[in-house]
Order: sequence, then structure tokens, then C-alpha cells
Amino acid sequence: MNICFWGVRGSIGTALKNSEVELKIEEALRLGVKAGLREDSQVSAFMQELPWYVRQTAGGDTACVEITAGDERLIMDAGSGIRPLGLKLIQDSGGNPIKVAILLSHTHWDHICGIPFFVPGFNPRNTITVYGAHSNLEERLRDQQDSRFFPVPLPSTFKVVQLSGNDHFTVGDVEIETIPLKHPGDSFGYRLTHNGKTVVYATDSEYKDLSTEALKPFVDFFQSADLVIYDAQYTMVENVEKENWGHSNMFTGIDMAIEAGVKRMVFTHHDPVCDDKRLGDFFQKAEEYLRMYAPSGGPLIYLAYEGLGFTL
Amino acid sequence: MKITENVQNNVSRIFLDGRFDANTCGEVEQFIRKRIDDGMHYFVLDMENVSFIASAGLRVVLVIAKELRNTSRGDLCIASPQPNVRKVFEISGIDNVLQIHEDVERAAKGFLQ
Repeated sequence: MNICFWGVRGSIGTALKNSEVELKIEEALRLGVKAGLREDSQVSAFMQELPWYVRQTAGGDTACVEITAGDERLIMDAGSGIRPLGLKLIQDSGGNPIKVAILLSHTHWDHICGIPFFVPGFNPRNTITVYGAHSNLEERLRDQQDSRFFPVPLPSTFKVVQLSGNDHFTVGDVEIETIPLKHPGDSFGYRLTHNGKTVVYATDSEYKDLSTEALKPFVDFFQSADLVIYDAQYTMVENVEKENWGHSNMFTGIDMAIEAGVKRMVFTHHDPVCDDKRLGDFFQKAEEYLRMYAPSGGPLIYLAYEGLGFTL
Repeated sequence: MKITENVQNNVSRIFLDGRFDANTCGEVEQFIRKRIDDGMHYFVLDMENVSFIASAGLRVVLVIAKELRNTSRGDLCIASPQPNVRKVFEISGIDNVLQIHEDVERAAKGFLQ
């Protein structure tokens, strides 16, 4: 299985601001002066040494993760990240029909706003199947492209499969299970297994009761997964301040991953108010917590950014 | 988790002994909620004998403190955490929203002032 992140932001698309770019350049120049940078030939190696938040950005597109499993291509959520993914699919297709399955966690804007801009959807030769467990799913997607909100209606290329929320089905030879998560208006997690490897996509969920009994259904759903994609929009403190906003944090994710014997966990759905430096800082603290909690093991943890990829 | 309590000057000093995690957060929360129902508003959680605190424990102290501040003008603070527990309070940012004291008496005195 190959996994690639195309959108990692929650709530709303968040472009990098000029002021943030300037701060990155300023910080890089300062570090360059400190490192005694003198010649062009030193630049590439110096770049690699720069802190993550100076050298790169997490990205501003909203929720979208591409999973390739054998002949199947699955897309987890259709936030704005699905727009560049669609262009890449067209480029890679060599003019041949494209077949994808889009699995929606829910229909809040940040998870469906990319559908009107998913260019493969406008070619009737392509096969695009959208799965989701929210009632009247097709109507919701059509409403998003009502002429009052968007000039082009939802193309008939999109075939909707209505799930129930506690499903077990297959897409090709990929086995898929779903679970209801904890989010205003509901959200659903997916567990995908192919050739003995398992990825869990569980975003937009707020775990308020962190007792072993209350977390058991979710820990069971994460059990022994090779990779769990986890919503960590807030810090521990923000999670309590923003009660009922429907999101989680890195520390709780780590606890659940350890309990479930997860091998890797990726934190995504970043808060739009969080710049790269703050994100990096939060992640560093999560790494410290993991080292304290599981000094001799535990999952590998990652901060999601656009382009982050895994091969399982 | 072993939980004991000593009340002086309307401040409940709660002494915790064990790991404060997903397995024990429920009993600590229930204990404090019972005391709130009994009319207590000020709590010091003594963590001298807490060997580790996980996110489940962090959430309980945050939620209770928030409720006390919002509903009864009460409060909750932490006393005598071991270095590793204090470290978790620091890296989680909780030391910015809750008072952490060296010992239980200083913590209780803070409420009386």
C-alpha cells in the first residue's frame, strides 16, 4: 500500500502568508550567518540541516489522503487537497480512464469542498465512486453544487454508495470497515486492509471520556494497524477549552496508539491558526511525551504535511 | 489508584497514589465530583506518589478545574508532582493554566489568600 497526503489542514484552507514566508527567510539567513555559510556549494547541505518549520510548510489544503492498494486507488476525503491530486491523476493516466473510490468521513466543507474542482469528475469515461455514511449523501453533494453556490452541477460521473456507519465491504481486494466517530453532525472512520497491511483513517473525532472502557471501541478499531491517520487539531488544553468542537490532540492519540499496538501514527487536520513553527513545537512536545510514556518502544509518530508518503 | 483526602479550611487536599491514566482517571474524577456535590469548591491534588500521568489524567484535572472556575468560582491546583509528572504538565501546556506548587500546604495557602 502507498499512502500520500494531499491535504492536512482542518476547518478551512489556509495559504501561507507573506509575513510567514519572510519570517522563514529571515530565520534561514540568520542560521546561515551563524553556520558561517560562505559559498554556493554549502547551500544544499545547509538547507537539509534547517529546522523543518524553516525549510518547509505543512501546507494549506484541507483533508485529502491518497491510498494506492494493488490496482485500487482510494481517496480519503475530498477537501481542497483533492484538486491537485485530480490533476496528477490525469497526468499519470496517459489518457486512459481513471477509476477511484472516494471515502468520505463526513460532509463538512473542509472534507468535500474539493469535489467541484476534481477535474477527473468532468470526464464521463472515468469511474468515480463516492462512499459515505451520512444520510442523503448524494443530495448533500448535489446541494454543494447547487447553482446558488457553484456554477456547475455535480457531474453524473460521481456514483454515490450509501453506507450505514458500521460497514464491512470491499473495493476490489481492499477490505474496508467503518466506525462512527465523535463529531458534531457525525464523522466515520475507515479501516482498510490489503495484503496483510492495515491503514486506519480516523479524523474529526473528540474523545471526551478517556477511560479504558470508553476508548475500547476505538482502540479495537486501531488494533495493530500499520498506520493510523489521526485528527490532532488541538493541544490538550485547547481540547478542553473547545469542548464539543469535535477534534482531538496528539497526546491522546499517542495513548490510544500505545494501547492499540499501532506501528505508526500520523497527526493531521491541523488548526488553521497554527503556523509551521507552532505545529513543529507541538509535535516536538508530543515526541517528548511518547519518549516518557514508552521509553523502549511505542509507535513511530509523524506530523502530516502535503507530500508526506508511506509505503507499507 | 489509592485516593485519600484531608479537608482543612474548606480546602480538600486529595492524595493520589499510583498511575493516573485511562485505567484510573474514572475513579479520580468520580471522587472529586462527589466532593463537589458535597459542597467543596477548592481542591489540591497532591501528586507526590503519582508515578505517571497520561492524557486521561491531564484531561480530568483540566475539565474539573474549568468546571469549578465556571460554575462555583472554585479552583483546583496541583502539588508536589514528581519530576516526570511535572514535565508532562509542562510539555502539555497545562502549567500555563493550572497552578503547580512545591507542596500541598503552599498550594492550600494559595487558595486562602
